[in-house]
Amino acid sequence: MQRRLTGSANDPRIKARYRREARFKAYSITALLVAFGIIIGFFADIIGQGYTAFWQHEIRVTLDYNERAERIGRFAIDEDLRDVVSRGAVRGIPLEMRNNPELAGTTREAWVPVYSRIDQYFKGNETLADDLAARVESLRDEGVIRSSFNWIFFTSGDSKLPEMAGIFSAVVGSLLVLMVTLAIAFPIGVMSAIYLEEFAPDNRLTQAIEVNINNLAAVPSIIFGLLGLAVFINTFGVPRSSALVGGLTLALMTLPIIIISTRAALRAVPDPIRLGAFAMGCSRWQVVRDHVLPLSLPGILTGTIIGLAQAMGETAPLIIVGMIAYIPDAPGGIFDAATVLPAQIFTWASEPRQAFQERTGAGIMVLLAVLLTLNATAVLLRRRFERRW
Amino acid sequence: MPQVKMQAEDLNLWYGQTQALHDVNLSMYDREVTALIGPSGCGKSTFLRCLNRMNDLIPQVRLQGRVSLDEEDIYDSSVDVVQLRTFVGMVFQKPNPFPKSIYENIAYAPRLHGTARSRSELDDLVESSLKRAGLWKEVADRLDTPGTELSGGQQQRLCIARAIAVNPEVILMDEPASALDPLATATVEELIHELKDNYTIVIVTHNLQQAARVAGYTAFFHMGQVVEFNDTDTLFTNPRVQRTEDYITGRFG
Amino acid sequence: MDKKGFSQHISQQYNEDLEQIITQVMTMGGLVEQQLEAALEALVSGDQAKGEQVVTSDYRVNAMEVELDDACISVLARRQPAASDLRLVVAVIKTITDLERIGDEAERVGRMALHLLEEDRQRSPMGEIAALGEQVKGMVRGALDAFARMDAEQAVRVAQEDIKADAQYDAIIRRLVKNLEDNPRSVPPVLDIVWATRSLERIGDRSRNICEYVIYFVRGKDVRHVSFEQMAAEATGDRR
Repeated sequence: MQRRLTGSANDPRIKARYRREARFKAYSITALLVAFGIIIGFFADIIGQGYTAFWQHEIRVTLDYNERAERIGRFAIDEDLRDVVSRGAVRGIPLEMRNNPELAGTTREAWVPVYSRIDQYFKGNETLADDLAARVESLRDEGVIRSSFNWIFFTSGDSKLPEMAGIFSAVVGSLLVLMVTLAIAFPIGVMSAIYLEEFAPDNRLTQAIEVNINNLAAVPSIIFGLLGLAVFINTFGVPRSSALVGGLTLALMTLPIIIISTRAALRAVPDPIRLGAFAMGCSRWQVVRDHVLPLSLPGILTGTIIGLAQAMGETAPLIIVGMIAYIPDAPGGIFDAATVLPAQIFTWASEPRQAFQERTGAGIMVLLAVLLTLNATAVLLRRRFERRW
Repeated sequence: MPQVKMQAEDLNLWYGQTQALHDVNLSMYDREVTALIGPSGCGKSTFLRCLNRMNDLIPQVRLQGRVSLDEEDIYDSSVDVVQLRTFVGMVFQKPNPFPKSIYENIAYAPRLHGTARSRSELDDLVESSLKRAGLWKEVADRLDTPGTELSGGQQQRLCIARAIAVNPEVILMDEPASALDPLATATVEELIHELKDNYTIVIVTHNLQQAARVAGYTAFFHMGQVVEFNDTDTLFTNPRVQRTEDYITGRFG
Repeated sequence: MDKKGFSQHISQQYNEDLEQIITQVMTMGGLVEQQLEAALEALVSGDQAKGEQVVTSDYRVNAMEVELDDACISVLARRQPAASDLRLVVAVIKTITDLERIGDEAERVGRMALHLLEEDRQRSPMGEIAALGEQVKGMVRGALDAFARMDAEQAVRVAQEDIKADAQYDAIIRRLVKNLEDNPRSVPPVLDIVWATRSLERIGDRSRNICEYVIYFVRGKDVRHVSFEQMAAEATGDRR
């Protein structure tokens, strides 16, 4: 019998084909590695720049709540330490003494942050005058100056003094904006999508609406900022720079995304399920409520989370509506002036001082961590509720 | 002479500009199985969907003529479509159980329509529906598992049980066994045989032997018209119209 | 009804199967006609050789019946024929049974012929017997012809020939009984002739059966056990 298969892999034509396929595979892997490399490089750069911000140096001082300290906080500290200690650490002492009169005449030991230049000196980013350098070195050797975790970064708002600056107010601002965005965009978006997908007749009007919604999703975000400025702030008088106006603006931006992803989730529910429900004597609303929505909910949630994650990273529109201001204190409500994480990062990035540079990196890391968490939640939700039908 | 349960009179239907049904006149008798046979695209499924107004869901459909259930016009403007569908149930070609538990699949509609409310009423209804569909023994111990985990034949019987649970008078079946293997098909056919004592059944099938096996009356559709309607024995041994003869002997399909 | 109606299925194989069956039926019919011809010659002219030939050849008719039965069952199983195809297969199954019986009757005639001596022949009404033989031979030919051409009207005409055959048969039997009364000692040979005549009459009956099957196949009407007037009406009535 003639052998037709054995040895066919050694045919020169076949071998050339194998080589072609191997080459193609190699190109694809290379492309992947390049892309991956860029991402790794990016992360490495950020982390390299920012990780040092997570700890800073502090000094153990004796706070002397004397008479002069009541007027100028600096006098509560030993004279030769006054240029080492951060100004921010002591400026609150007069107010503290006024609110707590029993402190007068007492002393207290405390760890307070050092002046940021000294902190940066220890981190190797700046230089000091020789004698100052010698002094702080010896203080560190004695253990009077130590490096510890930078809680201030997470508990304080912005400050002109980098050693006192933190992202807390930005985080609160971001949360408030996110809540407003969610509260407005989610119900409106989902209900619109349900109507368009399940109830609206398929005619020119609904097709036009669909085209326009898709276009809206592609509009540059800064346009929404301008819209927010013109409509919300000028016409409706919403307080500028508040979480409310930021949330309203971002809601406009997120709405098309939620509508599109909700419609996709609804469309993914197979028609036989709807037909079966209709045949059982369900009205259209019952079909949607009892059968289509439960099945499409994971998809809707995923789309919403992704839309919100995108909103969280938006800066340009929020700048236009004023959320770039200097906000030292966390906002108390949605009407108070606020700032958001990306805006805070933007502000810090504009500062020349090295201390702010490292805080920019740290801020980026925090923002990335939040975004990655949000996206991971979206993926988890999708996996968890994935149904076979 | 058997009683007429549902009747179509001078029924014409258009999908947009295309006419799909031409002057269809057909009587479906009470507690009999009527089979609708014919080549692809002949209008038999379209006609079936007219009987429970599922064609209303398709926007470009236009209907002319009368379809009546117990002599009441089902297309009358005062008729609630949802109500109609509790009297005329439907089973589809590809089994489509809800992605809920077996129990919920059956209990959902009765609970929705209010025909059974308390837990015990629903329990009884689920059990009796599954028994009548010949599925009880196989699933009694796992009523909380998803309906979609059953085999194809079981899923179809679940869909039939679901349809029975709302206590319809007519059950429409659109090629109910075409997605099933021969054993499951035989089970479903046996079920149809048992059901016809209590329900009027109209079944669309492209399998001539199936029509011959289950139906008491058969209507042959071709190009949107009813070419011949007769009791099954006569239609399959001695059809009156040449076109019917040609179709069932395989001279065209 | 289209004469070539059976041959236009979408499945070519199906067409060939059915054509093959009908061809086989005709072949079997031809064989049976040959047997009958030979048997009649043996009976009337005393040709011994022909007589033996009929007796030894009967197995061929039986074999064809078995083969055709198998072919028909195969079509039933594989094709689930409906309407005219179903009636065709049923008609064929019944026809070959009758053909096989006709073969048996021919074999009996041949066997009886072998027992007869020349003097027995001369004493018998061989002329009338020969006439009856021709009559039923014509009926067999006519029935097979009607089957081949799917002609219901011819089937009715051939079926009605049975009236004449029965009359001829009655006349011959009366003559033979008279012979017996006149010659009581010649019972055995007379009996043989009676059996042979009876076989011929039964061949006529069987031919009429085949005509009834033809009418059933072509017209879809069961005309067994009805009067000739009704049969004629059914056969000529317009189906469509």
